[in-house]
Amino acid sequence: MGNSASSSGRGHHDDSVDYGYLSPQGVYTGPRDWNHSIVTQFIVDRKLAPFYRPLEDYNDDWDDEQIMAARRELPESSDSGHSDVPATRTDSRDLSKPNGQPKRPGALKEPSRCPEAAVYRGAVECPICFLYYPSNINRSRCCDQSICTECFVQIKRTEPTATHMVSEPAACPYCVQDNFGVVYTPPSWRAGIGSEGTPPPSWPDSPKGSQHNVPSSSAAHKRRRKSFGHDSPDVVTTDQIRPDWEAKLAAVRAAVARRANRRIIMRQVGDRLIPVGVTSGRVHALPTEDGQDGGDNEGRGSRRSRRHPRSNGNSDLSQLLGQMGLGGQDLEELMIMEAMRLSLLDHEEQQRKEAEEKRKKDAAQNANGEASSEAPPSTAPTSGSSSTPESLSMTSPSIATGGRSTPSGRLAADSGASRSRSLTPVSGNRTPSPNRTVVGASNDTSSVSSQVDSEHSGASAPSFTVGNGEAHSAIPVESTITGTYSVLPDSLSMHHTDTSAPRLQGGLPMFSVDPTATPGAASFASSIFTPDSPGEPMYNVLPSSPDEPMGEPLLHVPSLSTEAGAHPSQ
Amino acid sequence: MASISSRRLRKELNEINAEGCPCGIKLLNADNFETWFFSIEVLGESLYQGEVFKLMFRFDSSYPISSPAVQFVVGPDSQAPIHPHVYSNGHICASILGNEWSPVLSVSAVCVTLQSMLASCKAKERPVDNDRYVRYAPDNPKKTRFHYDGKYPHIQHNIS
Repeated sequence: MGNSASSSGRGHHDDSVDYGYLSPQGVYTGPRDWNHSIVTQFIVDRKLAPFYRPLEDYNDDWDDEQIMAARRELPESSDSGHSDVPATRTDSRDLSKPNGQPKRPGALKEPSRCPEAAVYRGAVECPICFLYYPSNINRSRCCDQSICTECFVQIKRTEPTATHMVSEPAACPYCVQDNFGVVYTPPSWRAGIGSEGTPPPSWPDSPKGSQHNVPSSSAAHKRRRKSFGHDSPDVVTTDQIRPDWEAKLAAVRAAVARRANRRIIMRQVGDRLIPVGVTSGRVHALPTEDGQDGGDNEGRGSRRSRRHPRSNGNSDLSQLLGQMGLGGQDLEELMIMEAMRLSLLDHEEQQRKEAEEKRKKDAAQNANGEASSEAPPSTAPTSGSSSTPESLSMTSPSIATGGRSTPSGRLAADSGASRSRSLTPVSGNRTPSPNRTVVGASNDTSSVSSQVDSEHSGASAPSFTVGNGEAHSAIPVESTITGTYSVLPDSLSMHHTDTSAPRLQGGLPMFSVDPTATPGAASFASSIFTPDSPGEPMYNVLPSSPDEPMGEPLLHVPSLSTEAGAHPSQ
Repeated sequence: MASISSRRLRKELNEINAEGCPCGIKLLNADNFETWFFSIEVLGESLYQGEVFKLMFRFDSSYPISSPAVQFVVGPDSQAPIHPHVYSNGHICASILGNEWSPVLSVSAVCVTLQSMLASCKAKERPVDNDRYVRYAPDNPKKTRFHYDGKYPHIQHNIS
């Protein structure tokens, strides 16, 4: 769009070629997604017909006046009220052109023979737009059919989509041969750009030089019966005027790969799996990060630093910010997040009801710290194994909110809004409380933290609310993730967390869907940080990585219940 | 409406009005350049003798570069023909309406192609996945990516 509009917008220099133009004349109104400078160059080089203004109709009996009248009609015939930019543009150019067409056909009289009308002698109908053009317009390279430049530039490869990641070359609309291209035989004379001084070089196909001012070369194209290969230098193909098709294809493939690389993080609560987040999937995008980042995180343990390659360098940070904020959010990821959020809300609603029923009982038990035996609502029989206060798991130090909630709040926001990359070294910030500090969590506590969090998450896009204090107070909390086993046939890998919760042997396993298991993903696996409810520990979720030593603790999550920040879902 | 679409449709309409539709096809309604209706029947011997169907064409602004959305109308007074490439909601699995669409094809050409698709039918049956497809089918058949492979043989079209 930009190109043609600006170039023709000037309108002060003669930008016509053989009485046609360098930019479209308004037949099509869609996006002009071809490469304008390439097309212009082809037109100037007479390898592609200029954009001739079409005739609505044509009759061999017409005189110049009638031709010019038909020619003028085009802009007007866009009757349906849409603003036809090219049309107006054309007008202004015409006015400024030294030999511009008179406004009215009647004024044509002076040149007894108007070359601009003469080019349309023997006009041909473009079989696609059904408009009439000078007979020398492009011909398909394969089957020698006419096609105007306006239509030619519309024909392109099929756009690759996520489900159809191929881009076949455009087929000839007439004979369906692949690699559609056209051949243009210019008239034997030149006008406008490139006409200065020299008579035309010798075109192989040029019609007899005699017809100097009689442009229409209907004889010319009739001669051609051979077809051209798509790689012939005489041919302009659809790919040539859209050289970015490969980049587009690559972009779609990259997007798909990214998506495939993305893991959905699930948490098991009771017998339900709850999606709590999605990883970036861009993990492969950043090259070796491990080496240089050392400093910060290394101290906290190599595991962690591997997990959070991004949290280290400033350059990373800026890049990350660019990607999330300015760089444009991947809409689809947002939608996934939203779906997860809704799913969670749904779940929590249920949980809340269940918890509601047990509250009285629990409350009683809370007092003596025995609640766990009853804890898990209907679904997860926390066979009292842990029987620790965990089950109550209200957050610890009444939510050391002040200090910690900020990072976690931001985290929550980040994970929602920005592909879940956690910037903050996750567990590093956590209170390393080896055992959950289960403070006789009251509902008050949770509400405090939730406020803080909501404040933070409000700033940025969808943060999902995970859990509410009430509901989860009955759910067992685990502390460390002990095992990871992985790779189901379809690359669904689970990280089990080992908890005291008996039933699941892990209490809260995590799943990450990892269809591609991209090499390299392993090392840069970004982790997601899921804001959790006070009752729930927070997981730092790790994309499963093939090279992950099995059974090695993925994360030590000491009941971070607190800063997980309870998101109220009431 | 974009100029090319309406301009070309106007010409097609003029042609239809001047020369008439192909045999067995009648223009029912073309009040605008967005939706046209035709009746279509197979003349001569076929499994559809005596049956008349209704075709709906929907054009978007990029017609004819992009194909029209064409389907049989299913309503109180018309049904989709029972055909291995026609779903009971009227959607048609025909390559010329999908990846083999060519801007050179016209409304009339599509009608004729569909007519011959019916005429050459050997067995009146629904596509195997009819129920599944119809349950979730989008309103606009162009949003469906049909597979025109062995199971759903190509419908040949000829451009003269």
